[in-house]
Amino acid sequence: MNCEVCQLKELEVEHFEIREVLRCILHTILFHRALGLVRPKDIDLELFEITYVQCGDIELEKKIDEKIDQFIDKVEKHPNKKNQICLSFYEVKNKQATWFTNKVERLHWEQWYINLNVAQHPKSPKTHSGKSHHSKAVVDPGESAFEERSVRRAALESSLREVLFQIIKFVNEKKDHVPSIPNLEGVSFPFEITISSSSDSAFGMDMFKRMLQTGHPTMLS
Amino acid sequence: MASYHGNTHSEPAKMEQIITEFFAKSLHIILESRCPFVSSRNYSGDQIISSPSSSSSSSSSVRPRDKWFNLALRDCPAALENIDFWRQSNLEPMVVDVILVQRPTDCSPKRGIDGNLSSKERSLFFWNSEHDEYGCEARSEKIIERWVLQYESRKSSRDCSSGSKRSSCTSSHTLYKKSILLLRSLYATVRLLPAYKLFRDLNSSGQIRTFSLSHKVSSFVEPFTRREEAEMQRFVFTPVDTSCGRLCLSVLYRSSLSDVASEPSTPMSPQFIPDYVGSPMADPLKRFPSLPVPHGSPSFYPFGRRHSWSYDLYRASSPSAFPSPSPSYSDSRASISKPSSHRLPPTCLPRHLPEATQVHKKNTSFDEYWPSPTFSLSPSPSPPTYIPGSHMSKALLRSESAPLNIPASKLVNAPSLFNKQSLPPSPPLKGTRPNISKMDRSLGLVQTTSTDDKFSIGKDEIGKISGLKISSCGSPQKSFSRSSSRSFLDDFDDSEFSGPFVVDDDDLTDPGSRPGSFDQKGHQCESHEPGGLFPFRKSQDAAVGALVQMLKKAPPLCQDSFNSRNLLQASQPGTLSNRCQEPNKTSEETGIQHASSLSTASSRLVMSRTTADALEELKGYKEMKDLLLRQGGDSKHGTA
Repeated sequence: MNCEVCQLKELEVEHFEIREVLRCILHTILFHRALGLVRPKDIDLELFEITYVQCGDIELEKKIDEKIDQFIDKVEKHPNKKNQICLSFYEVKNKQATWFTNKVERLHWEQWYINLNVAQHPKSPKTHSGKSHHSKAVVDPGESAFEERSVRRAALESSLREVLFQIIKFVNEKKDHVPSIPNLEGVSFPFEITISSSSDSAFGMDMFKRMLQTGHPTMLS
Repeated sequence: MASYHGNTHSEPAKMEQIITEFFAKSLHIILESRCPFVSSRNYSGDQIISSPSSSSSSSSSVRPRDKWFNLALRDCPAALENIDFWRQSNLEPMVVDVILVQRPTDCSPKRGIDGNLSSKERSLFFWNSEHDEYGCEARSEKIIERWVLQYESRKSSRDCSSGSKRSSCTSSHTLYKKSILLLRSLYATVRLLPAYKLFRDLNSSGQIRTFSLSHKVSSFVEPFTRREEAEMQRFVFTPVDTSCGRLCLSVLYRSSLSDVASEPSTPMSPQFIPDYVGSPMADPLKRFPSLPVPHGSPSFYPFGRRHSWSYDLYRASSPSAFPSPSPSYSDSRASISKPSSHRLPPTCLPRHLPEATQVHKKNTSFDEYWPSPTFSLSPSPSPPTYIPGSHMSKALLRSESAPLNIPASKLVNAPSLFNKQSLPPSPPLKGTRPNISKMDRSLGLVQTTSTDDKFSIGKDEIGKISGLKISSCGSPQKSFSRSSSRSFLDDFDDSEFSGPFVVDDDDLTDPGSRPGSFDQKGHQCESHEPGGLFPFRKSQDAAVGALVQMLKKAPPLCQDSFNSRNLLQASQPGTLSNRCQEPNKTSEETGIQHASSLSTASSRLVMSRTTADALEELKGYKEMKDLLLRQGGDSKHGTA
């Protein structure tokens, strides 16, 4: 069993953009993995001219928002510049009782790494309005600062778009490893979201463990 | 789970059903996000979902159609009609064209500043100029997306069912799963493509738009022209293999729809919208919505623009020299508001203007104002910013002339920007004046705004590319502008021309913006200026007089320099070239033809400006010549 891994292009975000960007990316991925009956829901981003799709599952939405809160929390406490969110899909396999645990085992078949480079907290005045979601409308006295920001914003928008296309392409190219639908319970395949920073020493270990876990024959095709 | 599960069909039949439903679903997904609701009844019928954003409820009843591929979609009558039609065909390819329809009739009444043309004439003009290939159609249609969906059968179905090594059950399951995945990504992609924004704009407000979206479903492809194809990008979804063929889905889409898509959300007076839609900056295919405007040169407005176009809104009307500012104004405004250009610092603009102003007003004291040859000899101290300038020149000049000797070194150092500005655009002699050149000009000017303060940019680059020595060419160039300004002054009241420049007075003393020192050589050439063109704005008679003067004095046209100029310019890199290549080509061709037939153009001047300017001027000359001939021949007036 192969666990496909997709490293998404790193995005340079400011603090106030984290939530929208993460929502957009996570929901887009999950929409592609929600192979149950979905009633898609279009969401227009506030900060960017981008529309993404949610699969319209409230539980799923809640879970994502919780994780994003955690992530933002973590960014604030440990302002590591590089932050990573891993969204991994797994299948639950009941282990044979002969092993040392009876616990269900998570067999990961796909991992998405979202890489965010969060800009340090703004010290200069030009970004102090950045926490507001309406910073677009804030009239900044410094014209160049304003311009700079709109340039940056446009750059992020196109990068985000790139990431979304990266997701779409990945989904398109790798279809064989996706478990078959009859095994699906609920709207989406089970997933978990983990947060890590590049400075975490445990991070590498964590990944290594997960790698070991994956590798089993769920694929029918 | 999908309805195919409980069936009793054979495997091939299942597969075929999946494929058929896949076509239907794809069409539904595409049209659902491309067909604006005609009215609310279209989606308020039996289905609970009334809008995509309120469709999260999963408790609603699930129709059989929704079960297919586990994707519940809104109702879309257009999709249903078309799919019923398609089902009768036997898995033929499905081509869905999404068409942008623009309605000029909506906009023509709004542009009523000039009363010369009836609205009908104007709209014909308008569209004709934009879409030559469509002739005088009252509305224009443009394919902005082409979705091609087809099932490529590998062999006959009998072969494949026997040759398939996998169990048939797995095949149909796998096919179904992969189809779902493909449809999910189709669903997301459709919303990421530029056309989606148009769709959303159409639905989001009750505002009357000058465009709408339409679609056409057929089973064959009408090939695009090469030009159309060049403007489109392709996204190919990974085909889904079946046991006996594969499902292919791809889309060709126009990556830039900014002419309509960038319509600002802020409320604005509707009269600007038409120009906005047709902004030449926004779409290379569209030219000059401002064509019918008989007076005023749009290219001047960018000069007045300083900080932002909203500021300019008020300023634009101030220059008295321009009788009908608003159409051309909105034109330039549209270009400024393009994302690519609005980032350019508009504040750079005025820097260039002072020269023109100075030349006009203080031509006797050049040396005082330009004591140091800031750019004539040394490479520019700030070369990195020359990109916009190169864009401009490349954009303006896409000639493919063969390498030629460059006869005059002054050609090299002639900063096109400088001359462009010191010489107002050729007069709007007639309403029939090709707008292409107008667009080129304004485009160039807009680009100019981002050019570095020092003119060394253009020069530097040109010099670098051509390998010519720059050092020898500082002075001649100056004499051009100088001489042109002289005649300008001599023949006409310069106060009239100060209008567009007035705003830049405070920049006059900025030494960084000086193109270079003007030396005494300039005086020798003063008789060669074709700059007398602008005077036409003032009075026809005076213009005729000036023209006669100029014709007498004008040296023979130098074809060599013309071409070599092209060569130089063409060799410059630029990203803008795509936008303008077509118009430039045509304008250049005609311009060259004219050039051969006209003896009035001063070769020096031609060299010192961009080719587009020269062409425009040549056209102007030709028109004047015709005018004179007509006036001389009989008493009939040639004024258009």
